[in-house]
Amino acid sequence: MSAKDFISLENVGREELLEVMELARDQEEGRLGRLLEGRTVCLAFFEPSTRTAASFELAARRAGADVVSLSSGTSSISKGESLVDTVVTLDRLGMDALIIRHPAAGAASLASRHTSAAVVNAGDGCGQHPTQALLDLYALGKSLGGFEELAGRRAAIVGDILHSRVARSVIPAFGTAGIEVSLVAPATLLPREADVWGLPVLGSVDEALEWGAEVLYMLRLQKERMSGALVPSVAEYARYYGVGRRHLRPGVRVMHPGPVNRGVEIASDVVLDSSSLIPDQVSAGIAVRTAVLALATGSVERAAA
Amino acid sequence: MSTRSGADRELVIRGAHVLDPSSGLDGVMDVRISGGRVAEVGEDLHGVRELDASGLHLFPGFVDVHAHWRTPGREEEEDLESGSAAAAAGGFTGVVMMPNTDPVLDRPALVSGLVRRAERESRVRAYVAAALHAGLAGSELTEMRLLKEAGALCVSDDGPGTQNADVLRSGMLYARSAGLAVLLHCEDRSLAKGVVHDGVAAALAGVPATPASAEDAATAAALVLAAETGARVHITHVSTALSAALVGFFKGRAGVTADTTPHHLTLTDDLVRTLEGLYRVNPPLRPEGDRRGVIEALRDGTLDFVATDHAPHAAQRKELPLQEAAPGFLGHETAFAALYTELVLGESLPLSRLVEAMSCAPGRWVGGLGSLAVGAPADIALADLEEEWTVERESLSSRSHNSPYLGRRMRGRIVGTIVGGELVHDRMGAKLGVRT
Ligand SMILES: [Zn+2]
Repeated sequence: MSAKDFISLENVGREELLEVMELARDQEEGRLGRLLEGRTVCLAFFEPSTRTAASFELAARRAGADVVSLSSGTSSISKGESLVDTVVTLDRLGMDALIIRHPAAGAASLASRHTSAAVVNAGDGCGQHPTQALLDLYALGKSLGGFEELAGRRAAIVGDILHSRVARSVIPAFGTAGIEVSLVAPATLLPREADVWGLPVLGSVDEALEWGAEVLYMLRLQKERMSGALVPSVAEYARYYGVGRRHLRPGVRVMHPGPVNRGVEIASDVVLDSSSLIPDQVSAGIAVRTAVLALATGSVERAAA
Repeated sequence: MSTRSGADRELVIRGAHVLDPSSGLDGVMDVRISGGRVAEVGEDLHGVRELDASGLHLFPGFVDVHAHWRTPGREEEEDLESGSAAAAAGGFTGVVMMPNTDPVLDRPALVSGLVRRAERESRVRAYVAAALHAGLAGSELTEMRLLKEAGALCVSDDGPGTQNADVLRSGMLYARSAGLAVLLHCEDRSLAKGVVHDGVAAALAGVPATPASAEDAATAAALVLAAETGARVHITHVSTALSAALVGFFKGRAGVTADTTPHHLTLTDDLVRTLEGLYRVNPPLRPEGDRRGVIEALRDGTLDFVATDHAPHAAQRKELPLQEAAPGFLGHETAFAALYTELVLGESLPLSRLVEAMSCAPGRWVGGLGSLAVGAPADIALADLEEEWTVERESLSSRSHNSPYLGRRMRGRIVGTIVGGELVHDRMGAKLGVRT
């Protein structure tokens, strides 16, 4: 994560995380105001996403930015050959930040080589989804009483790690924040070389709790993977890799980047339980994304000046 | 190759370090060429035309059995002129063109047409690999005997491969009776669903990955069928340590030869961490352990030779995220320098083994090439082993620029290439200094 771009959290430092967290808190407490006034933010979504797009758009608009929005459904942009062309065209419009969502890993960094605007990765294939991990840290930190409280905690990341861009951002971000992380997934949903992260791999949510997980970070299982060659059945998946009421005990928090498959990753009656941080994650989105846009466009120094 | 006005003339190349393992030549000597063939190799030869090559190394011209010159159909990416210019710039004097063109080279008229065009337009000897199955579709055999009469050197379904073992078995049996070698790209498509090697880099990058077993399982099946059918089978671009070991096991049990590529010998899948489409290739770049296995198999001769899989692509097909980019690298112009730098200087591979692997062995496979024996075609590569250079887009002769070595520093460079006694590449006329 360079000063300008938010493309990957793989090599992000603790100071950088802290900066985003503090700025997000200032934003949430109304201390920042319209700090993106006069900035142009462009959303280029090469794959559909209502939630992330809406969250970014609200973040930009509430902070006073002009927002240009392109999506694969409403304009001529489509995946593949047009990515570089689209970015070059947008660059001519003089945008300050480009928020990009694309079905292929590496799309955001490719885009950043063709624009002088700051690039924020809003999810690229199975690659990275940095703002999701940042808002997760923010929501979790808030529930525990601050960013400093994260160090030494234990979190289990559960589910389809192989295909998850959220996991590829959450794993390094949680690690940098001082959280001990374990992975919980069947071998069919893990990369072959999952050892590269040097994290324990556990066989079920029950094992994760035995290991001492205070955070169960559940990943979404895509419909097409719910049965067949990767997972035998929803029933079996839910039995080992789902959270039910029986897993809830004091101090255990359940997180999920959404949208939840109720009854698969998380039992229906757990989604809205007090142990669930899912609503906090959603509401943290705007503050964190505002902070990210402010840092990306260099608006923070301007506000301070 | 056009008929050269000077092909009958005599030329003496003086003072180069001649290295030809196939004829046991290794030392500073002169080479007399006459009638397009090697006439004499010895000391103190003189002639009307002389070329001063002192300080240079002189090898039999390199032979590349796996190249995509995109003709017919995608000439904007490469054509016979640019492909053969790239080959000549890399010291290659013989090249086999693969059949995955548009249209596919699966009919005798297409093959004979391309053979005739190559005679006119290619600077180097260009051979045609015809399709093994119609449309490379792996179901209906091509007319292999007619294809051979039309000038095909061998048959191959290259990229798509032949996915059904029973169909492949019949193809081998028929090719044997047609007297054609079968060149195989071994990849089990039911396992190969990704775009990079399934390893550490893939785990971190989050790119769809293909396990090494996609290559290994298909290689094992092909070797078993080769042993059973007695066909002459060549396995191209071996990229894993296990596949190389399997080839070793079947040497002597089947009529099998194999090659690997400069990029699998010198690059690893670390590069896919950049997520750049430039680094997509098939078979994918492998981890260091596989690279080591492939190097050792080349060193001990389990892998017979090197082929580049020269695969030009237009910028818009490579400047894409990794998983959307077309697979393939340029190969001709960087092969020798990359291998000299990384294997000879870096891994103490004997230079003579590299020449054997780039010239003699593939030349024997094609037939009658790769040797400086008296009477052999005067196909020669001249190299300056001291020259250091950087691979740059502008310096490439290909019509495409998808080289994984762009920006890399290399040692050793081809400065002249001779085909049938004629200079077809002369990077530094002054250096070569033909004196009449
Ligand atoms: Zn191939």
